[in-house]
Amino acid sequence: MNELVLTTTVLGTLFFLLATGVWIGLSLLITGFVAVFFFAPTDPGQLLATSVWDASWNWAMTALPLFIWMGEILFRTRLSEDMFKGLSPWLGWLPGRLLHVNILGCGVMAAVSGSSAVTCATIGRMSFPELAARKYPEGMSIGTLAGSGTLGLLIPPSIMMIVYGIITQTSIGRLFIAGVVPGVMMIGLFMAYTMAWSLLHPDQIPDNDINMSFSEKLWASRRLLPVIALILLVLGSIYAGVATPTEAAVMGVVGSFALAMTTGSLSFATVRESMLGALRTSCMIGFILAGAAFVSMAMNFTGLPLVLAAWVNTLGLGPIGLIVMLTGLYMVLGCFLDGTSMIVITAPVVMPMIEHAGIDPLWFGIYIVLVVEMAQITPPVGFNLYVLQGMTGRNIFTIGFYALPLFFLMCAAVVLVAVFPQIALWLPSTMLDAR
Amino acid sequence: MRGILDRLYLASGYLACICLALIGLSIIGQIAGRFVHITFDATEISGFFMAASTFLGLAYTFTTDSHIRVNLLISHLGTRGRKVAELWCSLLAAVAGGYWTWQTASMVLVSIEVHDVSPGLMAVPFWIPQSALVIGIGVFTIACIDEFFQVLHGKDPDFADAEAHALGDLDAVAFAKTQEGPAR
Repeated sequence: MNELVLTTTVLGTLFFLLATGVWIGLSLLITGFVAVFFFAPTDPGQLLATSVWDASWNWAMTALPLFIWMGEILFRTRLSEDMFKGLSPWLGWLPGRLLHVNILGCGVMAAVSGSSAVTCATIGRMSFPELAARKYPEGMSIGTLAGSGTLGLLIPPSIMMIVYGIITQTSIGRLFIAGVVPGVMMIGLFMAYTMAWSLLHPDQIPDNDINMSFSEKLWASRRLLPVIALILLVLGSIYAGVATPTEAAVMGVVGSFALAMTTGSLSFATVRESMLGALRTSCMIGFILAGAAFVSMAMNFTGLPLVLAAWVNTLGLGPIGLIVMLTGLYMVLGCFLDGTSMIVITAPVVMPMIEHAGIDPLWFGIYIVLVVEMAQITPPVGFNLYVLQGMTGRNIFTIGFYALPLFFLMCAAVVLVAVFPQIALWLPSTMLDAR
Repeated sequence: MRGILDRLYLASGYLACICLALIGLSIIGQIAGRFVHITFDATEISGFFMAASTFLGLAYTFTTDSHIRVNLLISHLGTRGRKVAELWCSLLAAVAGGYWTWQTASMVLVSIEVHDVSPGLMAVPFWIPQSALVIGIGVFTIACIDEFFQVLHGKDPDFADAEAHALGDLDAVAFAKTQEGPAR
């Protein structure tokens, strides 16, 4: 009986605060306070102050603002133009032609940016008008951008993986490396779909208008060298174990400044705007993480996660049933919550269940990022949709409809990663230094 | 008064930006130190700058509507309903913020009293970085009170945009809107 009161009070408070529009970080803090005040024999005030403080100077967390900053700098450089001009000469012969620039461009951008919306915006702001001018079908052009933009979260660096790593104390470096193969697999799935669609609708794809010799093509792709060097520097140093994610992030920031300087887009205004932009994002996530630190501490005092884990245990789902149930839960939550909040709010309750079912937290990290990606492109809440809405002026549900085939491809990817966990787990197992 | 408050939030935001840059600089110091065989452990100090940056930036992030919230329900309310919702949210935030500031301040007083220092080589007295939290959360509380009175005196609460501002992708969205053609 007491457990029922506890569960309904805590969850009821949280849902009420969220539904009435209270900021998520604050909702978590207040829920934690209510839980401790009514159900735990300790002073909520001191627990609040110390748990927030202890969580806020975490070394692993310093990678977060730095990777966000790196993306914000690159977003303000000429990278988007360079990427289009460097990639397009090579893709003209494929079925679907320049639509593949969206997919591969997002894939490359995802490897230097941790946010899917930044990835989507950087590539889309150049390629969407170019594709529209060449009369590519709008549905495919917007759909591939929305879908491939989500690679920003799966291909390292990834803000979502850093948040998951901090919350669950999983190695961020290993999470990053685990995202590489699934990310490449997604690029493959998206490209295969685009080719199949184009072969079925040959009349809708414009002719190849690129006439360049091989050496001209090579010369055009020199523009890609700086960004490739940046990827090798950041991800290579993490894979080789010579740098922690935080150190790699600092090198990334320095490298991005160098790239901005060589392309002549470095100015005082760029630096200032990139810093304020990075601050807004990292501060917003930091506030949620502060709330999460207190609420998970409060939860441990009340014992609620164990109660819920025991309840789920009585259902006798087994690992597969649990994953199916959680996928459903995240799909529903994704309709009104963003990815970070979804991970942070569910983690204190879901992680004990995962551990109990014997699921590898590293694998679960990749799974949850994939599911969050799917939530990113389903209306009404999805940041890629907002970006594309701003860029194209189309209705958010129209964009969601264009992205629907790619949503199903992501579902397929989730099933593949669930059936063959080695897709995620193989590469990190080959890392030289498992940090 | 308006000008002073806005400058307070912006100043706090710039201070947070400086801390953000200092996270990077302290880690560059650590990497550089490794090459010249000088032990400089940035683990703690960069963490302190991280904490300072997060909390000093709270108010600035709040005033630019970048803190994330669920507005599936409230965005469907009329102007009056939205106003009531915003008053409820900002009042709750102001009360919670005040309590949070008070509890954090009393934690700092304890740290000073017992001479609590960090476990690393630098042995930084904990009250120094902790003070940044008190200042940051304090300014955040002021911003919440400010928001409450602004809405009370007729400011239109703008939920529609706040949604798109989330995840800091405000910039990406705003930028995308201003781009008519390809960026050249």
